[in-house]
Amino acid sequence: MQGNHEQQAYDRGITIFSPDGRLYQVEYAREAVKRGSASVGVRTPEGVVLAADRRARSPLMEEESIEKIHGVDDHIALASAGHVADARKLIDFARRRAQVENLRYDESIGVETLTKAVTDHIQEYTQTGGARPFGVALLVGGVENGEPRLFETDPSGTPYEWQATAVGGGRDDIQSYLEDNYEDDLSLEDGIGLALEALAEASDDGLTASGVEMTAVPVDTEQVRPVEEETLAEHIEDRDLGGEDDA
Amino acid sequence: MHNDFDPYEPELGGFEDVPEADDEPVAKTGTTTVGIATDDGVVIATDKRASLGGRFVSNKNVQKVEQIHPTAALTLVGSVGGAQSFIRSLRVESNLYEARRGESMSIHALATLAGNFARGGPFIAINPILGGVDEEGSHVYSIDPAGGVMKDDYTVTGSGMQLAHGALEGEYSEDLSIEEAKTLAARAVNAATERDTGSGNGIYVAEVTDEGVEIEDYDDVTELL
Repeated sequence: MQGNHEQQAYDRGITIFSPDGRLYQVEYAREAVKRGSASVGVRTPEGVVLAADRRARSPLMEEESIEKIHGVDDHIALASAGHVADARKLIDFARRRAQVENLRYDESIGVETLTKAVTDHIQEYTQTGGARPFGVALLVGGVENGEPRLFETDPSGTPYEWQATAVGGGRDDIQSYLEDNYEDDLSLEDGIGLALEALAEASDDGLTASGVEMTAVPVDTEQVRPVEEETLAEHIEDRDLGGEDDA
Repeated sequence: MHNDFDPYEPELGGFEDVPEADDEPVAKTGTTTVGIATDDGVVIATDKRASLGGRFVSNKNVQKVEQIHPTAALTLVGSVGGAQSFIRSLRVESNLYEARRGESMSIHALATLAGNFARGGPFIAINPILGGVDEEGSHVYSIDPAGGVMKDDYTVTGSGMQLAHGALEGEYSEDLSIEEAKTLAARAVNAATERDTGSGNGIYVAEVTDEGVEIEDYDDVTELL
């Protein structure tokens, strides 16, 4: 029916507000983020840690092929939750934007500047006819001028800065764990531990070292550095996060 | 998003597509512009003459140093139209950068951007000096029309550059005070004023410190000697 059709247009059209001022397509995109496995970010005075659950759905899948954390520039990395393909487009945008800063000013891009460039790009897809919003949330972590920074982007294109947070499935549980256990004088190693503990909150049957991807950006080097699997295994064992070990 | 990925153009305004115009007999500054870095800040001095081919004085009261950033100034050297447009573009970029990021551009970033614009734009006939102060200290750069950006402790551009350099050489030292640098810059502009037909009619002096940019002018260079 024509009347019914028009009434529901705001449900499908990205550029149309609902009568109560909501953009349903953006909210649906947030649901897509919740369907993804979680990524966690923890900022400490010694650097930023990004961690992601990348457990494979099948033992036949190569876990290495599930990429959730990506280096953007020497000093900035990014973790995603939600549609991987959408994330890849944003990651390439971020990588290009970071290098433009080098061309334009011969300087490394700041974490806040990069995050806002990405969120401005995301926002365009909430206001353009025929477009669909990005079904992905990102954590952008890095060091600028000796200062660790951690940001979140969401499908509406809003940037947020955090001390510690998570995106993706189980976010609420992880966030309350972080709120209860975060301290602002953590060492980088403590940050790695806290990120793993938080990630375990959203995991039903515990963590495995190969099922976690983690990257740190320490303040002293300002260089993105993947955290080794052995380090992860030690932390998982020390903190008893492995659940019922069926290995 | 249009120009966000083009580092060789201003984000706003763009470049006019008339590089040939600068070849015509338009107003040129001729000019002597001097920049000296000291521990306390940068001194930039210029003469006040605009001429047609250095043979006719078309204006005797040109301000050839302009503030382009909270703590940086640029000189106009070469085609007046090209230099004025160059200054407007850099000033706008600097304002946008600061409004967006809550901090002003470093002088190195500003010099890089100026070099990119010189290289990517229609500015075939400008040769300015950029002087500024930031967290790293005092900086003086010369920028050539092909986009060459060269940092130095002191530098000179314009038609009177050889005369001014002669006056500076051997006189510059790293521990100059800002007042001493002002006098030295005036002596360099004065030397060019005496012998270069493209330079003269007084002096503009800009003092750039971490507090900002102060520009004053004198009808007679010798007032500063």
